[in-house]
Amino acid sequence: MDIVVEHVRKTFGSGDKSEVLALDDVSHRFGSQKITCLLGPSGCGKSTLIQIIGGIEDATSGRIRIEDPARSGGTTKLGAESVMMWQGLNLFPWRSVIDNVAFGPQMHGVGKAQRYARATELLASVGLRGFEQHMPAQLSGGMRQRVALARALIMERPIMLMDEPFGALDAQTKIVMQEELLRIFDRTKKTILFVTHAIEEAILLGDEVLVMTARPGRIKEIIKVDLPRPRGLDILGSPEFAALFDRAFHLIRDEVTRAMREQEEAVRA
Amino acid sequence: MMARRPSTLMIWAERILPALSVVLFVLAWEAMVWIREIPPIFLPAPSSIARYLWRMIADGSMEYHVLITFLRIMGGFLIAAVTGIALGVLMGMSRLVSRIADLWIAALYPLPKISLIPLLIIWLGTGESYKLVISAITAFFPIVMSTYSGIRQADSGLIKAARDLGANRRQVQWHVVLPCAIPSIFSGLQLGMGVTIILVVAAEMIGGSSQSGMGYLLISAGQVMETEKVFAALIVLAVMGAVIIKSQQWLDRKIAPWAASAQ
Repeated sequence: MDIVVEHVRKTFGSGDKSEVLALDDVSHRFGSQKITCLLGPSGCGKSTLIQIIGGIEDATSGRIRIEDPARSGGTTKLGAESVMMWQGLNLFPWRSVIDNVAFGPQMHGVGKAQRYARATELLASVGLRGFEQHMPAQLSGGMRQRVALARALIMERPIMLMDEPFGALDAQTKIVMQEELLRIFDRTKKTILFVTHAIEEAILLGDEVLVMTARPGRIKEIIKVDLPRPRGLDILGSPEFAALFDRAFHLIRDEVTRAMREQEEAVRA
Repeated sequence: MMARRPSTLMIWAERILPALSVVLFVLAWEAMVWIREIPPIFLPAPSSIARYLWRMIADGSMEYHVLITFLRIMGGFLIAAVTGIALGVLMGMSRLVSRIADLWIAALYPLPKISLIPLLIIWLGTGESYKLVISAITAFFPIVMSTYSGIRQADSGLIKAARDLGANRRQVQWHVVLPCAIPSIFSGLQLGMGVTIILVVAAEMIGGSSQSGMGYLLISAGQVMETEKVFAALIVLAVMGAVIIKSQQWLDRKIAPWAASAQ
């Protein structure tokens, strides 16, 4: 599924004073079966963009179309082809692990035996066999992450929208989860949009990295990452990786210093 | 700085001293009454309070009054819980209902409910219905308000996640908003239980036509200066209140274990 974003703008708040322009004229075609990373300083509207694509927020103006490259036409009805994985995970604390994973099918009226069977399978595939009856509060951060991943995967939607899902993890757990995601991607060939502010993560995962500007969010530059797949952590040491990192780093540094200068000026004024 | 480890002596002191302080207090009380020869009308000795208490338990009168009061508390509390949660949920899910109810709650909440007693006695007499109504009205308000705020403060992240996973409006209300509100509803129910106990006993004291219940026992013993009976009733009432509140907390933890950490 290609995601075609055309001239999307988003403002928050109404009235001339409190109005904030979060996204300004963003256009891009997100390719099918690719991982596209949105990289930018905090507050650049990258989360807003994927929430708009997921049908959770509405764009103030502009158009978004989901296209199947094998067929003509497409749909502007957002949300039906995609599933979100959230920064804060948003697991339901009153539901056991298996009931969290089976939430989507349950809402769609799938019977208990059937949805549990599928959830058990997915939990096993993310390494959580035997934790079906645990409550989210009993799990470690990395394990909760896997539950959230299984809960998204059970929806079997072609597009996954991931909003800094590994942001809160410690460095070691993060590496394991990144490898896990790469494995899942190689197996399922989903279209993934991955929001992050970690340059390394963006290059390791992405086929394409969109570097975004600080408020208002625009696409500053598109970095093509043609590192071979399947990828593992060993590419982190390669000279190609270093070159891409260097390029992204300079782009981001410009944005961050600009954003900081603007903030300073706003405070002085 | 190094963390200080409590010494073995301190650990034992923490275990024993609380209970020991109670024992010492009772002993001092007993001694003072005997030494100063205080008349039992003013302050009976713990030993004679215990004798009275035992006698009342043996002849069944204490159990009778405790049971009656307990049933009234449960009755008033149940009415308040059912109506309070129902209205709170309705307010949380309908703007119109919340707008209308807000006005009434704002007007009636600050009124001390106990001041309604004269009016309720005029309307309902001093029988059971009056005691149920006064305690239910009082408990109703904290329950409505906690339920409403619990529903309103439902985690928007969880609601978004549920919608993204395909839940429709009704499913979001039932599977997300309501469970989110449970910790708040439970704390409302605990506040409600506390005031129900107070109001039932107060109503038994003022409208004693049924001549039963702990409030009646207290006031009737007080009027004839049977101070031992007053103390005996107070002790039983304190224990009863503690048992009710503790069981409620235990039940809450059993029903919604996740809520304990959320509160």
